[in-house]
Amino acid sequence: MDIKYINPFIVAAQTVFKTMLGISAEMGKPALKTVNRTSGDVTGIMGLVGDKKGTVAISLREKGAKFVYKTLVGEECESISQDVVDAIGEITNIISGQARKEFEKNDINLNAAIPMVIVGKEVEMNFITKIPIISLPFYFSLDNGSSNDKEVIYVDFSFE
Amino acid sequence: MNVLVVDDFATMRKIVRNVLKQIGIESVVEAENGKMALDVLKREEIDLIISDWIMPEMTGIDFLKACKSDDGIKNIPFLMVTAEAQKGCIMEAIKSGVDNYIVKPFTPDKLQAAIEKAKARIGK
Repeated sequence: MDIKYINPFIVAAQTVFKTMLGISAEMGKPALKTVNRTSGDVTGIMGLVGDKKGTVAISLREKGAKFVYKTLVGEECESISQDVVDAIGEITNIISGQARKEFEKNDINLNAAIPMVIVGKEVEMNFITKIPIISLPFYFSLDNGSSNDKEVIYVDFSFE
Repeated sequence: MNVLVVDDFATMRKIVRNVLKQIGIESVVEAENGKMALDVLKREEIDLIISDWIMPEMTGIDFLKACKSDDGIKNIPFLMVTAEAQKGCIMEAIKSGVDNYIVKPFTPDKLQAAIEKAKARIGK
Protein backbone atom coordinates (compact mmCIF):
# COMPACT_ATOMS: atom_id res chain seq x y z
CA MET A 1 0.00 0.00 0.00
CA ASP A 2 1.30 3.45 -0.94
CA ILE A 3 2.56 5.50 2.02
CA LYS A 4 0.24 8.34 0.97
CA TYR A 5 -2.66 6.09 1.94
CA ILE A 6 -1.17 5.31 5.36
CA ASN A 7 -0.05 8.72 6.59
CA PRO A 8 -3.55 10.26 6.73
CA PHE A 9 -4.62 7.62 9.26
CA ILE A 10 -1.51 8.20 11.41
CA VAL A 11 -1.91 11.99 11.38
CA ALA A 12 -5.65 11.73 12.03
CA ALA A 13 -5.31 9.31 14.93
CA GLN A 14 -2.56 11.27 16.66
CA THR A 15 -4.39 14.60 16.18
CA VAL A 16 -7.62 13.25 17.63
CA PHE A 17 -5.95 11.50 20.57
CA LYS A 18 -4.05 14.68 21.46
CA THR A 19 -6.94 17.13 21.03
CA MET A 20 -9.93 15.18 22.31
CA LEU A 21 -8.27 12.85 24.83
CA GLY A 22 -5.20 14.88 25.82
CA ILE A 23 -2.90 11.91 25.28
CA SER A 24 0.30 11.62 23.31
CA ALA A 25 -0.08 8.19 21.83
CA GLU A 26 3.11 6.50 20.67
CA MET A 27 2.75 4.50 17.49
CA GLY A 28 4.04 0.95 17.67
CA LYS A 29 5.13 -1.24 14.82
CA PRO A 30 2.56 -1.44 12.01
CA ALA A 31 1.47 -4.98 11.21
CA LEU A 32 -0.51 -6.74 8.54
CA LYS A 33 -3.56 -8.39 10.02
CA THR A 34 -3.58 -12.04 9.12
CA VAL A 35 -7.06 -12.68 10.51
CA ASN A 36 -10.17 -10.63 9.81
CA ARG A 37 -11.10 -10.20 13.44
CA THR A 38 -11.47 -7.18 15.71
CA SER A 39 -8.28 -6.22 17.53
CA GLY A 40 -9.88 -5.10 20.82
CA ASP A 41 -13.11 -5.40 22.82
CA VAL A 42 -14.94 -2.38 21.39
CA THR A 43 -14.50 -1.52 17.72
CA GLY A 44 -15.85 1.40 15.72
CA ILE A 45 -15.98 0.75 11.98
CA MET A 46 -16.50 3.20 9.17
CA GLY A 47 -16.53 2.68 5.41
CA LEU A 48 -14.89 5.24 3.16
CA VAL A 49 -16.10 5.79 -0.39
CA GLY A 50 -15.44 8.33 -3.12
CA ASP A 51 -12.32 8.58 -5.27
CA LYS A 52 -11.06 5.47 -3.44
CA LYS A 53 -12.68 2.90 -1.20
CA GLY A 54 -11.71 1.51 2.13
CA THR A 55 -12.59 0.81 5.72
CA VAL A 56 -11.17 2.07 8.99
CA ALA A 57 -11.70 0.40 12.36
CA ILE A 58 -10.79 1.92 15.73
CA SER A 59 -10.47 -0.79 18.34
CA LEU A 60 -9.82 -0.66 22.07
CA ARG A 61 -9.69 -3.08 24.95
CA GLU A 62 -12.31 -2.61 27.68
CA LYS A 63 -10.02 -0.58 29.94
CA GLY A 64 -9.03 1.76 27.12
CA ALA A 65 -12.62 2.20 25.96
CA LYS A 66 -13.74 3.15 29.46
CA PHE A 67 -10.81 5.59 29.69
CA VAL A 68 -11.90 7.22 26.42
CA TYR A 69 -15.45 7.63 27.69
CA LYS A 70 -14.33 9.03 31.04
CA THR A 71 -11.91 11.47 29.38
CA LEU A 72 -14.44 12.70 26.84
CA VAL A 73 -17.47 13.02 29.08
CA GLY A 74 -16.02 13.28 32.58
CA GLU A 75 -18.09 10.41 33.98
CA GLU A 76 -16.95 7.05 35.35
CA CYS A 77 -18.40 3.86 33.89
CA GLU A 78 -18.30 0.33 35.26
CA SER A 79 -18.74 -1.64 32.07
CA ILE A 80 -19.00 -1.28 28.31
CA SER A 81 -22.36 0.44 28.39
CA GLN A 82 -24.27 2.06 25.53
CA ASP A 83 -22.57 5.34 26.53
CA VAL A 84 -19.12 3.80 25.99
CA VAL A 85 -20.23 2.33 22.65
CA ASP A 86 -21.50 5.77 21.62
CA ALA A 87 -18.17 7.40 22.60
CA ILE A 88 -16.16 4.94 20.51
CA GLY A 89 -18.50 5.58 17.58
CA GLU A 90 -17.91 9.29 17.87
CA ILE A 91 -14.11 8.89 18.12
CA THR A 92 -14.25 6.72 14.98
CA ASN A 93 -16.29 9.40 13.26
CA ILE A 94 -13.80 12.13 14.19
CA ILE A 95 -10.72 10.11 13.18
CA SER A 96 -12.41 9.32 9.86
CA GLY A 97 -13.13 13.03 9.34
CA GLN A 98 -9.52 14.00 10.03
CA ALA A 99 -8.23 11.25 7.74
CA ARG A 100 -10.53 12.46 4.94
CA LYS A 101 -9.16 15.98 5.45
CA GLU A 102 -5.62 14.62 5.07
CA PHE A 103 -6.58 12.65 1.95
CA GLU A 104 -8.01 15.83 0.45
CA LYS A 105 -4.47 17.30 0.55
CA ASN A 106 -3.53 14.54 -1.92
CA ASP A 107 -6.57 15.34 -4.10
CA ILE A 108 -8.42 12.26 -2.90
CA ASN A 109 -12.02 13.08 -1.99
CA LEU A 110 -13.89 10.70 0.26
CA ASN A 111 -17.38 10.74 1.67
CA ALA A 112 -18.54 10.14 5.20
CA ALA A 113 -20.91 7.58 6.60
CA ILE A 114 -22.33 6.85 10.02
CA PRO A 115 -20.05 4.48 11.95
CA MET A 116 -21.11 1.24 13.53
CA VAL A 117 -19.66 -0.22 16.72
CA ILE A 118 -19.01 -3.90 17.48
CA VAL A 119 -18.66 -5.09 21.07
CA GLY A 120 -16.83 -8.36 21.60
CA LYS A 121 -13.44 -10.01 21.37
CA GLU A 122 -12.18 -11.35 18.05
CA VAL A 123 -15.40 -10.71 16.21
CA GLU A 124 -15.10 -11.50 12.51
CA MET A 125 -15.15 -8.42 10.28
CA ASN A 126 -14.81 -8.44 6.52
CA PHE A 127 -13.44 -5.32 4.88
CA ILE A 128 -14.72 -4.37 1.44
CA THR A 129 -11.22 -4.18 -0.01
CA LYS A 130 -9.21 -7.08 -1.34
CA ILE A 131 -5.82 -5.89 -0.10
CA PRO A 132 -4.50 -6.73 3.38
CA ILE A 133 -5.58 -4.83 6.48
CA ILE A 134 -2.87 -2.70 8.08
CA SER A 135 -2.99 -2.47 11.86
CA LEU A 136 -1.40 0.52 13.58
CA PRO A 137 -1.13 0.20 17.38
CA PHE A 138 -1.01 3.45 19.37
CA TYR A 139 0.16 3.07 22.97
CA PHE A 140 -0.82 5.52 25.68
CA SER A 141 -0.69 5.87 29.44
CA LEU A 142 -3.87 5.80 31.52
CA ASP A 143 -2.34 7.97 34.26
CA ASN A 144 -0.06 10.49 32.54
CA GLY A 145 2.89 8.12 32.74
CA SER A 146 3.00 7.79 36.53
CA SER A 147 2.90 4.02 36.21
CA ASN A 148 3.73 1.52 33.50
CA ASP A 149 0.03 0.95 32.90
CA LYS A 150 -0.24 1.22 29.11
CA GLU A 151 -3.25 0.77 26.92
CA VAL A 152 -3.47 0.49 23.17
CA ILE A 153 -5.76 1.88 20.49
CA TYR A 154 -5.63 -0.05 17.23
CA VAL A 155 -6.27 1.80 14.00
CA ASP A 156 -6.93 -0.94 11.42
CA PHE A 157 -7.59 -0.01 7.84
CA SER A 158 -7.58 -1.19 4.29
CA PHE A 159 -7.63 1.25 1.41
CA GLU A 160 -7.39 0.94 -2.34
CA MET B 1 -30.03 31.67 27.19
CA ASN B 2 -31.51 28.49 25.71
CA VAL B 3 -29.23 26.39 23.48
CA LEU B 4 -30.28 23.63 21.10
CA VAL B 5 -27.61 20.93 20.70
CA VAL B 6 -28.15 18.60 17.75
CA ASP B 7 -26.01 15.48 17.36
CA ASP B 8 -26.80 11.81 16.84
CA PHE B 9 -24.02 10.87 19.29
CA ALA B 10 -24.97 11.27 22.96
CA THR B 11 -21.26 11.58 23.79
CA MET B 12 -20.89 14.73 21.72
CA ARG B 13 -24.08 16.19 23.16
CA LYS B 14 -22.61 15.63 26.65
CA ILE B 15 -19.27 17.19 25.67
CA VAL B 16 -21.04 20.28 24.31
CA ARG B 17 -23.25 20.42 27.42
CA ASN B 18 -20.12 20.34 29.61
CA VAL B 19 -18.54 23.18 27.64
CA LEU B 20 -21.76 25.22 27.91
CA LYS B 21 -21.91 24.56 31.67
CA GLN B 22 -18.36 25.86 32.07
CA ILE B 23 -19.48 29.21 30.71
CA GLY B 24 -22.63 29.32 32.79
CA ILE B 25 -25.18 28.05 30.28
CA GLU B 26 -27.35 25.36 31.87
CA SER B 27 -30.46 25.65 29.72
CA VAL B 28 -29.89 23.12 26.95
CA VAL B 29 -32.32 21.22 24.75
CA GLU B 30 -31.05 18.17 22.85
CA ALA B 31 -32.08 16.64 19.53
CA GLU B 32 -30.65 13.64 17.68
CA ASN B 33 -31.07 14.93 14.13
CA GLY B 34 -32.27 17.89 12.08
CA LYS B 35 -35.86 16.70 11.91
CA MET B 36 -36.14 16.43 15.69
CA ALA B 37 -34.41 19.80 16.01
CA LEU B 38 -36.98 21.49 13.75
CA ASP B 39 -39.72 20.09 16.00
CA VAL B 40 -37.96 21.61 19.03
CA LEU B 41 -37.76 24.98 17.27
CA LYS B 42 -41.53 24.91 16.72
CA ARG B 43 -42.27 24.64 20.43
CA GLU B 44 -39.32 26.31 22.21
CA GLU B 45 -37.62 29.65 22.06
CA ILE B 46 -33.99 28.94 21.17
CA ASP B 47 -31.17 31.49 21.29
CA LEU B 48 -28.37 29.43 19.76
CA ILE B 49 -28.12 26.25 17.66
CA ILE B 50 -25.08 23.95 17.82
CA SER B 51 -25.37 21.18 15.25
CA ASP B 52 -23.44 18.25 13.85
CA TRP B 53 -23.43 17.59 10.08
CA ILE B 54 -23.70 13.83 9.51
CA MET B 55 -26.88 12.57 11.14
CA PRO B 56 -29.62 10.14 10.14
CA GLU B 57 -33.11 11.35 9.15
CA MET B 58 -32.01 14.93 8.42
CA THR B 59 -28.40 16.03 8.13
CA GLY B 60 -26.97 19.17 9.69
CA ILE B 61 -26.58 20.91 6.34
CA ASP B 62 -30.23 20.27 5.42
CA PHE B 63 -31.23 21.44 8.88
CA LEU B 64 -29.13 24.61 8.43
CA LYS B 65 -30.79 25.31 5.06
CA ALA B 66 -34.23 24.76 6.58
CA CYS B 67 -33.44 27.18 9.41
CA LYS B 68 -32.06 29.88 7.14
CA SER B 69 -35.08 29.72 4.82
CA ASP B 70 -37.55 30.19 7.67
CA ASP B 71 -38.10 33.86 8.59
CA GLY B 72 -39.12 32.90 12.11
CA ILE B 73 -35.82 31.22 13.01
CA LYS B 74 -33.27 32.37 10.44
CA ASN B 75 -31.68 34.88 12.81
CA ILE B 76 -30.81 32.31 15.46
CA PRO B 77 -26.99 31.92 15.39
CA PHE B 78 -26.07 28.52 13.97
CA LEU B 79 -22.76 26.85 14.88
CA MET B 80 -21.81 23.75 12.92
CA VAL B 81 -19.60 21.40 14.98
CA THR B 82 -18.59 18.52 12.76
CA ALA B 83 -15.92 16.06 11.71
CA GLU B 84 -16.45 17.18 8.10
CA ALA B 85 -13.22 19.11 7.58
CA GLN B 86 -13.11 19.12 3.78
CA LYS B 87 -13.07 22.49 2.04
CA GLY B 88 -16.17 21.69 -0.01
CA CYS B 89 -18.21 21.06 3.14
CA ILE B 90 -17.03 24.25 4.82
CA MET B 91 -17.84 26.28 1.69
CA GLU B 92 -21.30 24.74 1.40
CA ALA B 93 -22.05 25.58 5.04
CA ILE B 94 -20.84 29.17 4.60
CA LYS B 95 -22.96 29.59 1.47
CA SER B 96 -25.93 28.21 3.39
CA GLY B 97 -25.53 30.86 6.08
CA VAL B 98 -23.70 29.14 8.93
CA ASP B 99 -22.46 31.59 11.58
CA ASN B 100 -19.44 29.58 12.66
CA TYR B 101 -17.88 26.26 11.68
CA ILE B 102 -15.88 24.19 14.14
CA VAL B 103 -14.10 21.06 13.04
CA LYS B 104 -13.86 18.07 15.38
CA PRO B 105 -11.54 17.43 17.11
CA PHE B 106 -11.78 20.69 19.00
CA THR B 107 -10.55 21.96 22.34
CA PRO B 108 -13.16 23.27 24.80
CA ASP B 109 -11.57 26.73 24.48
CA LYS B 110 -12.32 26.84 20.78
CA LEU B 111 -15.98 25.95 21.23
CA GLN B 112 -16.29 28.36 24.17
CA ALA B 113 -14.89 31.20 22.06
CA ALA B 114 -17.40 30.51 19.27
CA ILE B 115 -20.28 30.41 21.76
CA GLU B 116 -19.14 33.66 23.42
CA LYS B 117 -19.00 35.28 19.98
CA ALA B 118 -22.54 34.13 19.22
CA LYS B 119 -23.71 35.34 22.64
CA ALA B 120 -22.24 38.76 21.98
CA ARG B 121 -24.00 38.87 18.62
CA ILE B 122 -27.39 38.29 20.13
CA GLY B 123 -26.64 40.44 23.18
CA LYS B 124 -27.05 37.73 25.82
